[in-house]
Amino acid sequence: MLAQLIVSGLAVGACYALLALAMVIIYKTSEVLNFAQGEMAMLSTFVAFTLLDAYHVPFHWAALLTFLFAILLGIFFEVVFLRQAKDPTVLGLIIITLGFEMILMGFAGWKWGPDQRSFPFPVSNIETYNFHGLVISKINFWTIVVSLALMFVLFLFFRYTKLGTAMRATQQNPIAARVMGIRTKRILSFTWALSSLIGAVAGMLIAALGILDPPMMMDPLLKGFAAGVLGGMTSLPGTAIGGAILGIIENLFGGYVSLAFKSVVAFAIIVLMLCIKPSGLLARHYVKKV
Amino acid sequence: MVKKSLFLMSGLLFITLLWMVPLVSAQAVRGVTDTEILIGQWGPQTGPAAPWGAVARGTDLLVRIINEEGGIHGRKIKYFLRDDSYQPAKTKAIAKEFVEQIGVFAVVGGVGVACGMTARDYLMENKVPWYGPVTGVYNWITPIQKYLFALYPLYDDEAFNLTGYLYEKLGYKKIAMFYQNDDYGKQGVMGVERYLLKKKIKLVEKVSAEVTDRDLSTHALKLKNSGAEAVIMWTMPTHAALILAETAKIGYKPQWATSNTLSDSALMMQITKGLWAGMINSFFGELPDSNHPLMVKYREWHKKLAPQERWGVFYYAGIIFAEPFFEGVRRAGRNLTPETWVKAMETLKNWQGIGPPVTYGPPNTPMDRQGGKHVFYGKVRADGSVERLTDWIQITK
Amino acid sequence: MDIKRDYYEDIELFRSGTILVWSILFLIFLAIFPWLIQKYHPLGFSIYIANLIAVHAIVAIGLNILVGYTGQISLGHAGFFAIGAFTTVIPILKWDFPLFIALPIAGFISSIFGFILGLPALRLKGPYLAIATLGFGMTITTIIKHMEFFGGRMGLQAPKLEFLGTPLKDIHFYYLIMAIAVLMTIGAIKLMRTRVGRAFIAIRDSDIAAEAMGVNLTYYKTLSFAVSAFYTGVAGGLYAFILGFINPESFHLIMSITFLAMVVVGGLGSIMGSITGAALMTYLDIKLQAIQDLPAFGSALVVFSQKYMSVSGISNIAVIVYGLIMILIVLFEPLGIFGFWIRTKKYWKTWPF
Repeated sequence: MLAQLIVSGLAVGACYALLALAMVIIYKTSEVLNFAQGEMAMLSTFVAFTLLDAYHVPFHWAALLTFLFAILLGIFFEVVFLRQAKDPTVLGLIIITLGFEMILMGFAGWKWGPDQRSFPFPVSNIETYNFHGLVISKINFWTIVVSLALMFVLFLFFRYTKLGTAMRATQQNPIAARVMGIRTKRILSFTWALSSLIGAVAGMLIAALGILDPPMMMDPLLKGFAAGVLGGMTSLPGTAIGGAILGIIENLFGGYVSLAFKSVVAFAIIVLMLCIKPSGLLARHYVKKV
Repeated sequence: MVKKSLFLMSGLLFITLLWMVPLVSAQAVRGVTDTEILIGQWGPQTGPAAPWGAVARGTDLLVRIINEEGGIHGRKIKYFLRDDSYQPAKTKAIAKEFVEQIGVFAVVGGVGVACGMTARDYLMENKVPWYGPVTGVYNWITPIQKYLFALYPLYDDEAFNLTGYLYEKLGYKKIAMFYQNDDYGKQGVMGVERYLLKKKIKLVEKVSAEVTDRDLSTHALKLKNSGAEAVIMWTMPTHAALILAETAKIGYKPQWATSNTLSDSALMMQITKGLWAGMINSFFGELPDSNHPLMVKYREWHKKLAPQERWGVFYYAGIIFAEPFFEGVRRAGRNLTPETWVKAMETLKNWQGIGPPVTYGPPNTPMDRQGGKHVFYGKVRADGSVERLTDWIQITK
Repeated sequence: MDIKRDYYEDIELFRSGTILVWSILFLIFLAIFPWLIQKYHPLGFSIYIANLIAVHAIVAIGLNILVGYTGQISLGHAGFFAIGAFTTVIPILKWDFPLFIALPIAGFISSIFGFILGLPALRLKGPYLAIATLGFGMTITTIIKHMEFFGGRMGLQAPKLEFLGTPLKDIHFYYLIMAIAVLMTIGAIKLMRTRVGRAFIAIRDSDIAAEAMGVNLTYYKTLSFAVSAFYTGVAGGLYAFILGFINPESFHLIMSITFLAMVVVGGLGSIMGSITGAALMTYLDIKLQAIQDLPAFGSALVVFSQKYMSVSGISNIAVIVYGLIMILIVLFEPLGIFGFWIRTKKYWKTWPF
């Protein structure tokens, strides 16, 4: 049972890690906590659903179109709302993302109604791979693979490409970055597009794991946020470690101590851990100069 | 100096005005005119509980059918639907709006215990008839209220009898329970445990999920490790779909049984990708494809008046929760007041629309205000249709 | 004009005669509000909304002390609200406490929890603090749900209040809530003008600089959490009686977020902003759901929904409009409604120029 709990914990942790990844990318470049992340992913997933269900588009085309939609949605949000804010406070930006979250949630409810649906996905969430008695469903397995792969690619991207370096520069000092010839505005739009794209991947996987309805991302988003914070909010490998720790702790606690407090115990542990390492596990702790 | 006089002044103002506010004058019969009867219902149309909002829209269909057929005693029904997003603070505002601004004759339906409870006392103090809150809990009948008639079969009794059905008829002795951690799930556990206590056995496992949980792998593992032959499920559709997928993953296939809140087999079949087949379900209304003459009639009107709505169980439950109310209005005659309506309702004896047979009486015991006392059991076939296992069974004495 | 001659001018409640006059006028308005309104509207509905606004205003002021004045974020104030509600109702239900004793006790219990939450906040900032407070809010409701003492998942019915043997009606409750709200507003304004308030603001502007100036961070940060929690707890106690029934499910994350939205929309670091923010958001929240009942616009929406959207989800328009209003206010007035007020004031002061 212990091994199975850990495996299931890793599986669910991978979903958290994907969402954490999407949030961390935004936070890394613009220090915005994006509470609309989940709803952006949900909307993209609904678009994929419509393409698959109503227009019978083959899955790979539907996925591509959905990714395109997600990218446009991310850019749309950045350009139309966030960029318009004149000297915004951090809280102001959070409120803008919350407002956007409400708009998206309302829009999805208006367009598709409140009914639960099942998301047609090529990989089954019931068929399993069996490793010596340890069971993991195919989709869980692929979620882990996808999240690790995405993270690795992004890690390389941030470390070695010009664009990635420009993104890091924008985060560390926007004014200096602009002086050095980086188009910081364009970089921000790109960041949002990238984050929305990762969110869409997460959304489709989570919908395929369970069901598709407007509030489907509320709980995963919070957990993803928690995983990101645990890993250090600015560190990409941190999201994977944060997600895995969170998933495993939750499952072990649920399995051996109490199911009722399963979903809050993660937060208690995070608070304790943050008291020891205030910037998460893998982020360097910066102390602001006065 | 200025400060002190300010406090003094405002204090005085408060005290004098406290007693100067006159009472609102009472009307003749609220919400009943020569040509119209005004009724209202709240229901979550937005937010996480929005799937339940279909109930309120189903009532709208019944109202339109009645109006198309000429109304009741020369009066058309005017129906007000308000969205409370499942937030009690909004529900109470809506109740006040209904009574004071719109001036409704009665409230019908209304989803949610906490939502309804914020409005209950207010409605009763203002003598507003309230028919059929859409939850099967004791709050509506204890303490007994003159103007409040409940319809929904009590979750507690339903769970009690469902357990009995599994234990006695089907011979399952090792029974586990999977429930949602709120008032609804708790009532289910209460009923199941009450039955098993009578038989002097215990649940082999009792697993609960928080309403927001979306990862149920641990729950599934616990159920599997209990080795239960049958699992009773008392949850919302989302959790039902998730737990079935998780248990299927780890190769655990007990006999599942569940309450009538999950009796929308077509929906459940779709969101569980076929795992719903074999489910033993209790029902408190006719099946969606039933040949019952009323169902045939409603389905035809549905095609004509509201084709864009899905003919789901929640949707036509809106009809079930309003049918007896309108029967009461019919029996009360042209002289419709809350009093005559209550008297008329009390004459209903085994009256049946497409829901359970309904009986009310003068308010002596709580059960005189509990209308629905019956359910029937069915088993879901592989194609999503339901095989009816029993006739209506009385679950509440 | 802005030069203060002594300390007492600095801590004065009213900075000028104009403000004093307006404040008195506002109080008179509050006092005769039921009178004014009943000519046009039925009383109970308006009073209920006014009560709700007042309670939310108290929360918003409390949250603003924490967020706007001390610069700490909280996504867990629904937790304090729940603590306040349950610890007010339970002593009254079980041990027959009078309200005016139970309410401050609830406030103090809530502020003890605030103090506890303030401890991790000593080291955490930004998203880290957000997650910690969010977890706090969720933990509190989960604990309440699982303790039979608090009525468990079934919730609790608030008892009917009595005063000298006569049951209190809504309208009496209105004056009670308004009196408490006014007192707490004055308390907050006063507090912000004293040493404590200035310490809070110093921490907000730069906690390291504040510490260097001799502000005891441990003391003032936890104090800020405790004061904020006290306000929220008292408001929660009143809320329980406005609703008449409380259930742990009602105190969810969305509630915490709404509180935060009230503060930011009203204006960070402004007491009057908190009140207007609370009033606006509460009013919109309750009134917007009838948006499709508007004469011409509503039917157009229905037709549009039938064609392009779903009819079953038409109520979501209210959610969209609510979110849009929230965004627009923050976009065009980063200081919230308060910022708008300052601009108008400046415009009139400097008028022909």
